[in-house]
Amino acid sequence: MSIAAINEKLLRSIGVGVALVRASNLQFIFHNAPFAKWFGEPEKGQLLGDVIDGLQAEGINAVIKDGSPFHGEVEVKLKRRTLVIAVTISRAREGKQTLLVVECQNITRIRELEGMIDSYSTMVERNTRELEREKERVERLLLNLMPRSVYEEFKTFGVVTPQLYENVSVVMLDFVNFTDFAARTDPTVTLGELNDIFTAFDRITEQYGCERIKTIGDAYLAVSGMPDPAVDHATAVAHCAVRFIRYLERRNQSHPHKWQARIGLGSGAAVGSVVGIQKYVYDVFGPSVNMASRLQVLAEPMGIVAPAEMKFDLIDEFRIGDFGTHDVKGLGELKLITVTGSTRPVRSY
Amino acid sequence: MAGSLFEKYGGFKTVSRIVMDFYEEALDSDAIGDFFAEVEMTRLIDHQTKFIASLMGGPASFSDERLQLVHRQLKISHGDFDEVARLLSATLAEHGVTPDDISLILDAVESKRSLIVTAPSA
Repeated sequence: MSIAAINEKLLRSIGVGVALVRASNLQFIFHNAPFAKWFGEPEKGQLLGDVIDGLQAEGINAVIKDGSPFHGEVEVKLKRRTLVIAVTISRAREGKQTLLVVECQNITRIRELEGMIDSYSTMVERNTRELEREKERVERLLLNLMPRSVYEEFKTFGVVTPQLYENVSVVMLDFVNFTDFAARTDPTVTLGELNDIFTAFDRITEQYGCERIKTIGDAYLAVSGMPDPAVDHATAVAHCAVRFIRYLERRNQSHPHKWQARIGLGSGAAVGSVVGIQKYVYDVFGPSVNMASRLQVLAEPMGIVAPAEMKFDLIDEFRIGDFGTHDVKGLGELKLITVTGSTRPVRSY
Repeated sequence: MAGSLFEKYGGFKTVSRIVMDFYEEALDSDAIGDFFAEVEMTRLIDHQTKFIASLMGGPASFSDERLQLVHRQLKISHGDFDEVARLLSATLAEHGVTPDDISLILDAVESKRSLIVTAPSA
């Protein structure tokens, strides 16, 4: 078998569609089986452009003129399928004759897979976006339950190590006769009122860099000096306390129910940690918390009571009154003071 | 998606092959192939990827409204619907989906019958 015969056999057997066309008149001199399958048998005298529908004449002319190969894609309808065929046309010389070599590859499967990947990745991306949104929602929720630094620790390690903070101040507020009010009022009204007030308190605590830890029924507990240390923790909670009272006084002027609160301040050490596994809640414990909660009970309605040891820290910015010595449960004999807002203009933060 | 058939059979890696084979089978079928002949290829692939993935509990949601909309003009008969179910069942079996799981998937397909079949019964 001659080399030419072997070449021809080879061209006939490969899966690539191949055709040879005379550059002079664009008539076919050879084509193999895959070519015929996709474009039909070229009839005698039929031209390249007639057989392969959709080829641009300029592209072919460029190949003939300057020899730069042409690349293109055509669609062929074969039975029910639309095939995508990549066509490459290049120039070759055979003796004095210029030939065009037409190579055709079936890239339908590639296009189909690309389509499928596009479709799938769109679905996955949409799902990912939904998950992201869900994650943000959960994060916002958890940030309401614990301070950000604690949340970061919880997220990284899955647990929160209880931390002792030496210098912390606590403000604890409780409403006078709340139980009575709750008993004779529609619970939704009670809750609406509380929600309104606590939301205002949250804004105040935030303004003074304090952290609201929790509300227990009608009691409101906030701290300063944890989880981030604060030099002015004592004044910070006192500012909150004074503004809680001021807010209530103003609110009472325009609302049917007149809220009266007692406030206790405490100072000292506290431990902060997440308690529980399934139903985590960030909570604080320690002498400072006990103190605030005990002193709050002693306070007059709309009054603030603090231990005398806080006097030194508060005296510059608040009016301090003597509240005598009291035997406080769990803490023993304590000298106490009352705290009211300063007459001086309030330092703005 | 945890615990779905989509996960069980290897996620997109397997499902993509099922989609491709089902696509081929559907086009080759003389009974129902013509329904797909005039649909643009990328749309058909998109449709079938979502269809199979959602049947197997993958990350696709295929609303009933959409399903109804794309089939409304086609006048599909119960026989056509049965043929698609048969092809799908055969394709799933070829890819090693267990008979129990196939019947789960076909139940899901069956539940959509009223949305898809619009030809008056013979």
